[in-house]
Amino acid sequence: MIKIENLEKVYKTEEIETTALNGINLHVKEGEFVSIMGPSGCGKSTLLNVMGLLDKPESGSYKFIDTELLKLNDKERSNFRKRNMGFVFQNFNLIDELTVFENIELPLIYNKVPATERKRLVNEIIERMNIVNRSGHFPQQLSGGQQQRVAVARALVTKPKLVLADEPTGNLDSSHGNEVMELLCELNETGTTIVMVTHSSHDASFSNRIINLKDGHVISEKINKNRTEELI
Amino acid sequence: MFRLNLKIALRNLWKYKGYTAINIIGLSIGLAGCLLIFIFLKFQLSFDKGEEKRDRIYRIVSSWVYPEGEFFTSGVPIPLIPAMRNDFSEFEKVAAVHQGGGILKIKNEEGGADMKLRQDIFYVEPQFFEIFKIEWLSGRPEQALSQPNMVSLSEKTAAKYFGNWKNAIGKSIRYDNKADYKVTGVFKDFPENSSFPFEVVFSYASFEDKFGKEWGWVTNRSEGYGLLREDLKAADLEKPLKQFIDKHYIEKSAAKEKHYFQPLSEVHHDARFSNFRYKTVAYKELIGLGVIGLFLLITACINFVNLATAQAISRSKEVGIRKVMGSRRKQLIWQFLSETALITVISLGIACVLTELVIPKMESLMEINVSFHLFTEPVIFVFMLILVVFVSFLAGLYPALIMSGFSPALAIKNKISSASAGGLGLRKVLVVAQFTITAVLIIATLVVVRQMEYMREKSLGFDTKAVSMVNIPGDSLSRLKYESLRERLLQLPGVRDISLTSAAPISSGNRTISFKYDDRPEDEKTQLNIKQADEHYLKTFNLPLIAGRNLSKSDTLKEFVVNEQFLKTLGIANPSDAIGKTIGLGGGASPKKIVGVVKDFNNMTFKSTISSIAIFSDKNEYAAMAIKMDIKEMMNTMKKVEQEWNTTFPDDVYEAKFLDENIQNFYRTEQVMGVLFKVFAGVVIFISFIGLFGLVSFIATQKTREIAIRKVLGASTLELVKMLNRSFLWMVLIANLAAWPLAYIFASKWLNGFVYRIEISIWPFMIAMVLSVIITLVTVSLRSFKAANTNPIDALKYE
Repeated sequence: MIKIENLEKVYKTEEIETTALNGINLHVKEGEFVSIMGPSGCGKSTLLNVMGLLDKPESGSYKFIDTELLKLNDKERSNFRKRNMGFVFQNFNLIDELTVFENIELPLIYNKVPATERKRLVNEIIERMNIVNRSGHFPQQLSGGQQQRVAVARALVTKPKLVLADEPTGNLDSSHGNEVMELLCELNETGTTIVMVTHSSHDASFSNRIINLKDGHVISEKINKNRTEELI
Repeated sequence: MFRLNLKIALRNLWKYKGYTAINIIGLSIGLAGCLLIFIFLKFQLSFDKGEEKRDRIYRIVSSWVYPEGEFFTSGVPIPLIPAMRNDFSEFEKVAAVHQGGGILKIKNEEGGADMKLRQDIFYVEPQFFEIFKIEWLSGRPEQALSQPNMVSLSEKTAAKYFGNWKNAIGKSIRYDNKADYKVTGVFKDFPENSSFPFEVVFSYASFEDKFGKEWGWVTNRSEGYGLLREDLKAADLEKPLKQFIDKHYIEKSAAKEKHYFQPLSEVHHDARFSNFRYKTVAYKELIGLGVIGLFLLITACINFVNLATAQAISRSKEVGIRKVMGSRRKQLIWQFLSETALITVISLGIACVLTELVIPKMESLMEINVSFHLFTEPVIFVFMLILVVFVSFLAGLYPALIMSGFSPALAIKNKISSASAGGLGLRKVLVVAQFTITAVLIIATLVVVRQMEYMREKSLGFDTKAVSMVNIPGDSLSRLKYESLRERLLQLPGVRDISLTSAAPISSGNRTISFKYDDRPEDEKTQLNIKQADEHYLKTFNLPLIAGRNLSKSDTLKEFVVNEQFLKTLGIANPSDAIGKTIGLGGGASPKKIVGVVKDFNNMTFKSTISSIAIFSDKNEYAAMAIKMDIKEMMNTMKKVEQEWNTTFPDDVYEAKFLDENIQNFYRTEQVMGVLFKVFAGVVIFISFIGLFGLVSFIATQKTREIAIRKVLGASTLELVKMLNRSFLWMVLIANLAAWPLAYIFASKWLNGFVYRIEISIWPFMIAMVLSVIITLVTVSLRSFKAANTNPIDALKYE
């Protein structure tokens, strides 16, 4: 589904140039759950941002089911993003001024889904995520685990082909962290492709494949046999 | 989406209540100021706009060109109008109007006391009502104003005199105890914004001097109007006018006579000419007010931009998330613009309430009646709509561009720095701009107030305190009673002296006349300002003689006392050289001797130079009694004066005004301007400084961590306060320097309108600087002291 070739990304400041991605090649199959690991500053978040069309690389190619995404203009990028991708962040990134329901509804509004349909979809996912009694609450009134559930619900409500998760358990204690990882696994089992950046080997163990980055290069790739069999 | 954006907007406004309050208070006051100014401008610009044929209506005005300049008057010689009717086929209609005034007596038919009042009346030709469209409730102008001794009344006046306008027709009104006028017509009231305050209209046929032949004599009480033919343009009048002047001005005169056709739209705005409302508002003044309105709006918008960009970082996460969810930049720009529009609409609501509250004060200050009805006056509604759009874009666009431009990858990780939130440089520029406006207004206010003080305190060259000007009837019977009344009033304990005169030394009605000095062969090229007064004039007004003696008692012109300016104009170096020389007044009066010279006194406002003046006795011209009183017994004395007066002239109406009040009235425009400057400078200062307070609060919040770290490392509270204050002080100082040239240009332009004026000193500039520095220091320190005093652990704990 995803074919990334020779991706390069350089951050420039007045004094220094930092190469964040240095000729990355990466293929992700449909329905795969891929973890990206590596030390701080290795480029994993940059890679995720590029995959999510939030950042532009200097060169290389990024194909998503035969569509070359790097050639798209800003408008096409945001259209592509809202139709095909969902995001889960370490810091949840919910809008503080909106309720749980409204936060989840937001991507549907941008996708121009009619109001009644929106209501149905949001209620469905709220039920699935087990946060029905929280739908009128504001993010600050929820625990970290609950906030991340909302964030996952928001990522899934548009039924994206690809979910990008950036350290989804980084701000959670282990029990809430596990809950979220199980949620992602369930999601993956229903066919959604997931790419996750993580520091935690425990979290990575939930995925099919683990890719290690260092200084902007892919230094190793590991297949998680337990999970891969399921995929095959 | 709109609903959701609205929710976010409202919740954000609530979350940052303090900043919302600052924005809304600032904007409300700014918008209220704009609305008030708009209502005033709208009223002033609406003058005579209701006239159907306004584009074709012209007033005929006059001017004389003397060596010392051109003098303008709204009046025309009385024979001009009939001549023009004859000579100008370019005009469809020509009409003469002459203003008079006197005592009207209306008989009470139900047996009560008769109504007696002093009233301005207008002798009007019926053609006037063919040029100007006014609905007649009863009668038709061509009949109702066709014969002598006919009067028509406005609806309100008819109701005032006779209970109901319908009762007025056929009734009789006695004018100046001389003649009875029959009410033959009632017309609808002229609107408030008409240059014609006609309430009592006499037929022009009743005007004594209607067949006047004197082309060299003009008063601004006689005006003429013409309606241009539809197929012609104003330029078509130039050639016939030249021929007309050549044809009719055949007598030799010291001045060159000129006439102009003034478009109706200029009658209310050209200050060179007067009008029957005796009020002109020059476009210059209207533009000045408009600029102040714009200043108010800009100051309030600057607050908005500053606070919005300062707040931008806290909105960055939301922007990031929205972009990740697929929002496009354009959508975000609209979202932020609609938030600004929301604040503007809320502020406008408050501004409407403020406007409603302030309108009565504005009406009494500006002596006008205005209305503020949103739904009956769509133009106000449209203006408000434009305001909302204008303010939303002016204040909202820049923050919207900044915020919508955040990189989503950085924004979702809270990595937007205050530098990339933009506006740090711009914010500084805006604060400087705001302080520049404030400083200009402070300086302007100080200069205006100082000039007003100067005019109040500067000696006019005569005594103005405790002098009351009491009118006296001018008919021959009343004239016989002048002396005996004077004697009786002098017996009253509080009365010091009394003089009978045509006018006080300073007055709005100045009569001028051509003259011949001694044995010089020709008339002088300048006009002589004349004041008829008895031998008590100099003593009553405390006018000091510098040569010769006072006038001796006489009822007719016997001798002259002149002023120093007279000597200067004629090139006489030594005052005593003029004594014994003669003056021959224009119109062929026999020359009389100069017996004395008085020290110069101001006979007009400080905007004009002192004229060459001659004072002489002429009982027939006396119109007032100047009563000099003991200052402590003034009120008591005035009551007794009124009683005596009423016994002496039972058929007339008593009117008295204190001279210093009259003088203050000459400076009404300047006083209004002084008040406006004080109010608007105060408002702008207030808006600027609440904005500053908000900005400092935000910066202090943003720097909480830096302050805490510095404190942990050993910085004292004072050092921290200094650190936070420093940049603001610099901005204020730069703003003051930028304001100086602007304020200097304004002040010198304004002061140039006065012949007697203060010199611009460094003080208003220094005071403005010190004042703004002090206010800034206080405002900034209030907040920075709080920030510097916080326990650093609290700040660092949250990291």
